Amino acid sequence: MRELFPAKQVMGFVFSLVLTAVALLVYFLDMSFTTGMTILLITAFVQAGLQLVVFMHAGETKDKGAIYTNIYYGLIIALVTIFGTLLTMVWDM
Amino acid sequence: MKIDHSLPLEYSTEENRLKILGFWIFLGAEIMLFATLFAGYFTLANRTGNGPTGAEIFEITPVLIETFLLLASSFTIGLGIHAMRLGNKKAMLTFFAVTLILGLGFLGVEIYDFVVYVHEGAAIQTSAFTSMLLTTLGTHGAHVTVGFFWGLFIILQVRKRGLTPETANKSFIFSLYWHFLDVVWIFIFSFIYMKGMM
Repeated sequence: MRELFPAKQVMGFVFSLVLTAVALLVYFLDMSFTTGMTILLITAFVQAGLQLVVFMHAGETKDKGAIYTNIYYGLIIALVTIFGTLLTMVWDM
Repeated sequence: MKIDHSLPLEYSTEENRLKILGFWIFLGAEIMLFATLFAGYFTLANRTGNGPTGAEIFEITPVLIETFLLLASSFTIGLGIHAMRLGNKKAMLTFFAVTLILGLGFLGVEIYDFVVYVHEGAAIQTSAFTSMLLTTLGTHGAHVTVGFFWGLFIILQVRKRGLTPETANKSFIFSLYWHFLDVVWIFIFSFIYMKGMM
């Protein structure tokens, strides 16, 4: 039974719950928009990285390089899309 | 077909390895798809017209339940893949079944949430904000729905054919998809719900 619950994945799950709890501070405590967004950005991206490495086994085979290149490519396009939109549509720059 | 026994079953042939790489490329495209939805949401989040704002309709309890269910399901499918690598088919199928039940629970709460929104006057046509909100949440929910049926058929196939390089490969790819849905939910949780209720 024990072998079915590897320590790495159990720790990964506990850590993801902790990150969610930290993100919840934004709701329960009174803080400025900047502080809140900083906390959320950190917890969300750490959490996403955790899923990728611990649960999705992204770096396991010799395709590691291609897989990470592709994820970074997707992420860069995503961030350019989001921040480009924010710059032109919301922040009026 | 050359089978490399030093690797887990799901990677054991070249075709299998390439299928996994191909699925990662698909996930890269999915990241970009959800990025466009988030870009739209951030643009329209304050365009509430005569409808309610996010702070007025978001409720913490259902969001927390949804988050917990999806995080737990991402954990159980990870355990399912681990059991698969141990060659323990029974444990693997149990974890996959638990994952799908948690996924169904998530969908139930999300549908309940949608019904509440509509009753509170936040339907898809109410304002730019509500239509973008429901489109973003709905796209994620549709992915979970597809994932539920996909997983169901994977379970049936593994039961029927056992653990072969093909079925192990399909199961692993399904697990990647499910983890990805959890990642997207983390961003929805943080930048739609938490940001909206801050």
